Amino acid sequence: MRVDVGPLSDFEDHRVRIVNAGDLEVGVLRWRDRFFAIHNRCPHQKGPVCLGIVSGRLGGAAPGSMEVDEETPVLACPWHGWEFELERGRALWDKSYAVKVLPVSIESGRVLLEVGRSRD
Amino acid sequence: MYSGPVIDCDVHHARNTDAELIEYLSPGWRQYVTDRGPAGNVPLAVQDGLPNPHGFMRADTYPKGGGEPGSDYATMRDQLLAASDVRRVILTFGDDSHVAGHHNPYFASELARAMNDWSVERWLSKDRRLLSSIMVGSQLPDVAAAEVRRHAENPGMVQVMLVDNPFNRGFGHPVFHPIYAAAEETGRPVAIHGGAGGWANPPSTGGGSVSTYFETHVLWPQAIQTHLVSFIAHGVFEKYPRLRVVLVEGGSAWIPSLLWRFDTEYKGLRREVPWLKRLPSEYFASHVWVTTQPLEISPQKENVVELLRSMSLEDRLVYSSDYPHWDADEIDYLSTRLPSDWHRRIFFGNACRLYGWKEEDLAPPREAVRESA
Repeated sequence: MRVDVGPLSDFEDHRVRIVNAGDLEVGVLRWRDRFFAIHNRCPHQKGPVCLGIVSGRLGGAAPGSMEVDEETPVLACPWHGWEFELERGRALWDKSYAVKVLPVSIESGRVLLEVGRSRD
Repeated sequence: MYSGPVIDCDVHHARNTDAELIEYLSPGWRQYVTDRGPAGNVPLAVQDGLPNPHGFMRADTYPKGGGEPGSDYATMRDQLLAASDVRRVILTFGDDSHVAGHHNPYFASELARAMNDWSVERWLSKDRRLLSSIMVGSQLPDVAAAEVRRHAENPGMVQVMLVDNPFNRGFGHPVFHPIYAAAEETGRPVAIHGGAGGWANPPSTGGGSVSTYFETHVLWPQAIQTHLVSFIAHGVFEKYPRLRVVLVEGGSAWIPSLLWRFDTEYKGLRREVPWLKRLPSEYFASHVWVTTQPLEISPQKENVVELLRSMSLEDRLVYSSDYPHWDADEIDYLSTRLPSDWHRRIFFGNACRLYGWKEEDLAPPREAVRESA
């Protein structure tokens, strides 16, 4: 099922906007010209993961160094700080542990989410 | 009971007199130590720890001819080496091991150099089964690294040992890294012996100081835990990917609890240490080894076994007796506390992997005693 969650102009760059899509509460992130949709429910303790901070992934090529990868947005759950990359929803420390992500498309200036059957 | 081959990873050898060590000091330092008239020698060992009410040694380990426990090769041979199928013993010094507790960093470096030469000439020369730790004055990490490299070509000098903590910083702090660069380069594991950070140098414990030896001995794992967490958090194993660490005399049953907490904290606090590429427990599983003594005694012995198994520690534990100290663990005793299918790994095989030896190269000790002994 495709759900129209509003015009592009409703989505501010680098911000998550919470929308309802079917039975799900979903955070939609605009990251320049890319869009990501994440079920607002952390797999850890079911916290509102989309209320957390989004930033480019921090990495360190060597101990003591900090580099930002602006091409890889990461969401940190406000409960406990567990981080997930948004392309596939995977935890940064375990690829098999993930938040649920939904496909996003843009058509005629509208943001559309593909809502499947809820996994939980 | 286990009756197979044994590698003992913590045996304390000692000297009887100052003169034994003074012989190996440079002339200048020799004069500094000895030329004090009636005041006697400058103390060579740091001894400001809490007293053990029993004394620190097994009473039966005092050599019959006099002298300190661990100071007489023949006594050690008869009591330790001949008592079972011991293929290798790693010597870890006595009170001198607290060399990094000296306030004078130059004196400490010279003492460490002299101690290592003493160990090579007075001990390794006697028996092929005896191998030695390389002591370093970690107060001067570059000098310490040079000392490690000085022994690079001697296969009898098998590990770098850290005990006291001169900087009040966890051992993963970059100030210590020159030592680890040298250890990795020369293929030597770094051994962190219990008491580190807590004998001559404070802090001995988290939360506050203690009043009795009883308390400090219970809490020895705290310093080991600090250094383990420090090593991993500072990315030492990313920077030195071939480095191995062995935790000596800090116990082991706490390791699952610490690593579970460590992994959980990493999930939330990763961005403070983004140079880490794996879970802390994964670094542990590929870089860290642990000596057995003192094995925690749970009322039901399977409780400790279950804990150790939960982190696959049967593949990371290496046997240590701690001879001739008061709380040494016997092979016969330890073999009753651990599952029999773990015995060969813990008493022998794991240490071979840790030190990079082929099991078949560690022949039975028929010809171990060198002719000069």
